[in-house]
Amino acid sequence: MFFFTVRRIIASVLVLIASSFLVFALCAASFDPLAKFRQRQPPPTQEYLDGVREQLGLNEPFLVRYWHWLTGVLRGDFGETIGGTPVTDQLGGRLLVTGRMILLAIIIAVLLAVIVGVIGAVRQYKPSDYAFTFLAYVLIALPTFWFAAILKEFVAGGVNDLFGQQVLYTIGEETPGLSLYASGWELWSDRIGHLVLPTISLALLSFASWSRFQRSAMLDVLGSDYMRLARAKGLPYRRVVMKHGLRNALIPLTTVVALGIGTLFGGAVITEQVFVWHGMGEYLLQNGIGQNDINVVLGWLLVSAVFVVLFNLVADVLYAVLDPRIRLA
Amino acid sequence: MTTTQAATEAAAANTPGPGAEREFTVKARSQRQQIVRRFLRNKVGMTGLVVFVLLLVFGFGGPLVYTTDYGTLNSGAQSVPPGVDGYPLGSDAIGRDLLAGLMQGVQRSLFIVLLFIVIALPLGLLVGALAGYYGKWVDSLLMRFVDLILTVPLLVVLIVVATNFPGSRTPLGVGIILGLFGWLDLARIVRSQFLSLREKEYVEAAHAMGASDKRIIFKHLIPNALGSLIVWTTLAAATAIILEASLTYLGFGVNGANQTSLGRLVSDGVQATTTRPWLFYFPGITLLVIVLSINLIGDGIRDAFDPSNRRVRS
Repeated sequence: MFFFTVRRIIASVLVLIASSFLVFALCAASFDPLAKFRQRQPPPTQEYLDGVREQLGLNEPFLVRYWHWLTGVLRGDFGETIGGTPVTDQLGGRLLVTGRMILLAIIIAVLLAVIVGVIGAVRQYKPSDYAFTFLAYVLIALPTFWFAAILKEFVAGGVNDLFGQQVLYTIGEETPGLSLYASGWELWSDRIGHLVLPTISLALLSFASWSRFQRSAMLDVLGSDYMRLARAKGLPYRRVVMKHGLRNALIPLTTVVALGIGTLFGGAVITEQVFVWHGMGEYLLQNGIGQNDINVVLGWLLVSAVFVVLFNLVADVLYAVLDPRIRLA
Repeated sequence: MTTTQAATEAAAANTPGPGAEREFTVKARSQRQQIVRRFLRNKVGMTGLVVFVLLLVFGFGGPLVYTTDYGTLNSGAQSVPPGVDGYPLGSDAIGRDLLAGLMQGVQRSLFIVLLFIVIALPLGLLVGALAGYYGKWVDSLLMRFVDLILTVPLLVVLIVVATNFPGSRTPLGVGIILGLFGWLDLARIVRSQFLSLREKEYVEAAHAMGASDKRIIFKHLIPNALGSLIVWTTLAAATAIILEASLTYLGFGVNGANQTSLGRLVSDGVQATTTRPWLFYFPGITLLVIVLSINLIGDGIRDAFDPSNRRVRS
């Protein structure tokens, strides 16, 4: 297992380097970091623009620029934004904001998916199965931002009316400026109020397709011989389903969830946009692509790709835990 | 003793003259006929198909009956609620007819999906087939390339590319971009299918008879992988519609003066949830119904191709 992990990490580092090079090439070929200076009125002089070019290191050859960036990353320095602030400091805060949003959502989604999937499989073609199947299909077919708008409208409005005060917030990750003077419970209760809606939105939308995976995996397992054998030995039905069935049926879900978590860390881009959270997704869209800032895009890419790779590794290790027959070698 | 006697009698009765034989045998059905029959009997899949056909009629036949043009602005009828002033589904902030917009939107969205499939299906099929059939360095090369692009989330790749081509904010452009980056998972699926199929006896037999690689791939392997191909196509079509809507919502999708897509209508409607609910609900529900119907068709086809999935449990 140890050597497997080491080998996977080395292979992943190579993939990361290659994909960062690819994105660097794409961005370097198309981004114009000077665009925002050119749009100024009155237009800046050519000398000024040349100075900025020199300062940003745009005059150096393409490969040299990439090399500078790569060696910087190895030293833990992601370079500076066009505005001159270090990317490294900003990534941490952004990651915390996104992490807060998706952590709870993933936990809820996985629990719901397993429960609903198992119920759907055990009671196949019963009314509850049809109801959950229908729900899952509708949720899968909904665009995130449309669903989020409904949540904002009905859930937030309803709950706030019920309590007679603002309990759920629809915009932002915390009340602006609150963290400057408040701390402790006051700050965190405010943050929780902001957290509820994005979490519900993300959790329900992710849970829908995951529950389908869990259901079909469970159906596969329920039809297998060792389940019949376990029943024939006289084990109670509940124990057979939970111990023998569920454990084996969790493997496909592990893959899907691991891939999903990795992608989500890169930013639940749309959810962040709808609820105006200043997380990783917004960082990429506004600060990176919006400003034509190559260092921001690459910093974002690296962080999110590391999470993709990391959670794939976790999934592989979990396979071995769930199914001892799988040997990691 | 008696049973064997009965059996021989039955056997004798079963082989009478040549004329009566046809009356008791079942007509042979080809694999394809069986699949079509299974699909036609699948209630869920057929519901999806019927709804989808109705939507096609709505999108392409509707404009022939309801001739109002979406591009017509009417400053006298801005944000009219449904059913007033001859606007069956109301109008938007600059007086465009929502019903006409929906018809055009359905058309454009289906056009985008068609374009997406026309580009992505051959690409994915080709890459997956080459990697799966030839293996070795071809496989490593192509699959590492696919892995490389897959490290970056699809939506982000699409955004970066769409930013680089500002001219792509039309249904045509969005369809092409979706197609150019939508084949990666198909390539993986085809590859894994080919990896197992190429070890089958009939491939070996074809090879021994001197069939060329091209013939084996097109005549033997692809028809056998057809099930997963069709299923992928339907599911990817549904995803493409949602992706288009998401791209448009984030500001990287369809954005022309008189070019609307379902995604455009839904994204615009989100701003009007309470103030003008008809702009929010009608496009959203239309999108939901399209995606839902395509997904149901896909599920029906999957069941038809792989009946073993439907396990009967006591």
